[in-house]
Amino acid sequence: MLHVGLAHFLAVGALLFALGAYCVTTRKNAVGILMGVELILNAANVNFVAFGHYSWGGIHGQVFALFVIVLAAAEAAVGLAIVLTLYRHYKTIDVTRAERLEG
Amino acid sequence: MPVSLADILALLPEILLSLGALLLMMTEVFLAGARRGYQALLAALFTAAAFAAFLAQRGGGPRVLFGGFAVSDGFALFAGATICAGLLVTVVLGAGFLAPRSAERGEFYALALLAAAGMCLLVRAEDLLFVFIALELMSVPTYALVAYLRTGDRPSEAAFKYFLLGAFSSALFLYGAALVFGATGRTSLSGIAAAGGGKLLLAGLALVIAGLSFKIAAVPFHMWAPDVYEGASTPVTAFMAVGVKAASFAVLTRILVTAFGAPALAAVWQPLVVALALLTMVFGNLLALTQRNVKRMLAYSSVAHAGYLLVAVAAASRGFSGPSARGEAVSSLLFYLAAYTLTTAGAFGALAALERMGPDPQPWDLDRFAGLAKRRPWAAAATAMLMLSLAGIPPTVGFIGKLLVFKAAVDAGLVPLAIAGVLASVVGLYYYLRVVVVMYMQPAPLGSVPTPASWPLDLVLVATATLVLLFGLAPAGLANAALSSTGLLGG
Repeated sequence: MLHVGLAHFLAVGALLFALGAYCVTTRKNAVGILMGVELILNAANVNFVAFGHYSWGGIHGQVFALFVIVLAAAEAAVGLAIVLTLYRHYKTIDVTRAERLEG
Repeated sequence: MPVSLADILALLPEILLSLGALLLMMTEVFLAGARRGYQALLAALFTAAAFAAFLAQRGGGPRVLFGGFAVSDGFALFAGATICAGLLVTVVLGAGFLAPRSAERGEFYALALLAAAGMCLLVRAEDLLFVFIALELMSVPTYALVAYLRTGDRPSEAAFKYFLLGAFSSALFLYGAALVFGATGRTSLSGIAAAGGGKLLLAGLALVIAGLSFKIAAVPFHMWAPDVYEGASTPVTAFMAVGVKAASFAVLTRILVTAFGAPALAAVWQPLVVALALLTMVFGNLLALTQRNVKRMLAYSSVAHAGYLLVAVAAASRGFSGPSARGEAVSSLLFYLAAYTLTTAGAFGALAALERMGPDPQPWDLDRFAGLAKRRPWAAAATAMLMLSLAGIPPTVGFIGKLLVFKAAVDAGLVPLAIAGVLASVVGLYYYLRVVVVMYMQPAPLGSVPTPASWPLDLVLVATATLVLLFGLAPAGLANAALSSTGLLGG
């Protein structure tokens, strides 16, 4: 039987990170990009908990992950509000069509 | 975790800022019908109190707070005072800029004060968890501030770009922190330094540097800066250019010097920081050259200044320089941060003073400065002084700052980097002096609308220009204060 260990969790974390980064860079939908950011944050959370459990013991990793969850919620709230103002001005949340600044 | 009253008292500046923010939000509920002029005064009072609290705490030795989560040392106090000074300028700018546009609300000051509280916590963070919480407390209100002015579509687009890159960089930093925790089992900076680690630690270090490089807008992580700086309302731009950058530089320096200060690790990150500094100085200045839009030019200029600051960070690495050289480098970083804060906040103030009300397709074009010397001689003189300081020409504080940074680089054995920095600042002369030339040599275009004078904006201009000149002529006081503030606990 397959024994699930640290390496598996780290692989899941790395995969989540890669998917999140891919999502952020290629998505056109603003909400989709937000989800990509959340994936990266959760990738870090998986790592924290896995390292905490397998490598070092204690609750340090878990506590860190808990704080991250709270902060990610606050960040998502502000992010969605900003997406809403973007929609009010452009009537779309397609980020490629909401471009007035030069860059 | 033992918490004593002294620990809480040490956080007095942050407590004052948060209290001020809460109070200002309450005024919006209970006193909203009245005139709003008092809100700026209230915000300024709390900011000044926090500034005074930072100054009052100097002199006591470095102390660990909350069982190792935060510290109170000279470095944190100096950086915190600098941030409060930047916040004070932002508040006055906000009053002068928002009131005529009837957009002055308590939320503006509350968000700025909250973000500043995050910045002040960030500069004293001693644990990666504390760093991350403070980083978010700084960033989240700043995202909202960028979107604050709801007229026109520029702010909402800028806010989304800033949010996206900010959240991405925070996530990168966090992933790096997770790897560092995995390699060492610790999250406190001194614990990481004591534990050491292998390849995993290096990967974490690289991600932490990349995450913070977004925040300081170092090339190649600077793409967001010109768009966001242009799109945000000018007082907010000043706040971002000054506060966010100062706090991020302080925490970057603390993490690198304290947690990764071992010679073997410093040998890894020093070349990285040197490369970042070189790229940032060269490309920041070159990209600023082509801008006719003064707000974008100042945005690229703040990118270039991040390059000079990175030179000081590189010089602070312990692997190649002794402790005295490191102290010199850290003090030059602090001095440059203070000089940069004054000058850049003032320069954005000049821009805010020239901005017209109502829709304007080219609000920050170089033409707007034409003939300013005739129309408003004092404002023109102050702007010229600020531009000279940004360019690093004596007798301004910008010159002294560059001198100290490049001297520290030479003493740390980074002679080629110092030479590159001097050459890059020579390129910078062109676009800063162009503004001065346009103000004094070109007549105002026919039919140009004079901008309404607003005394808070004029106050910012005259006060920052005077301080820039004063600290340029007599830098000893500020330089000595920076020199006595280099005690990084555990570094």
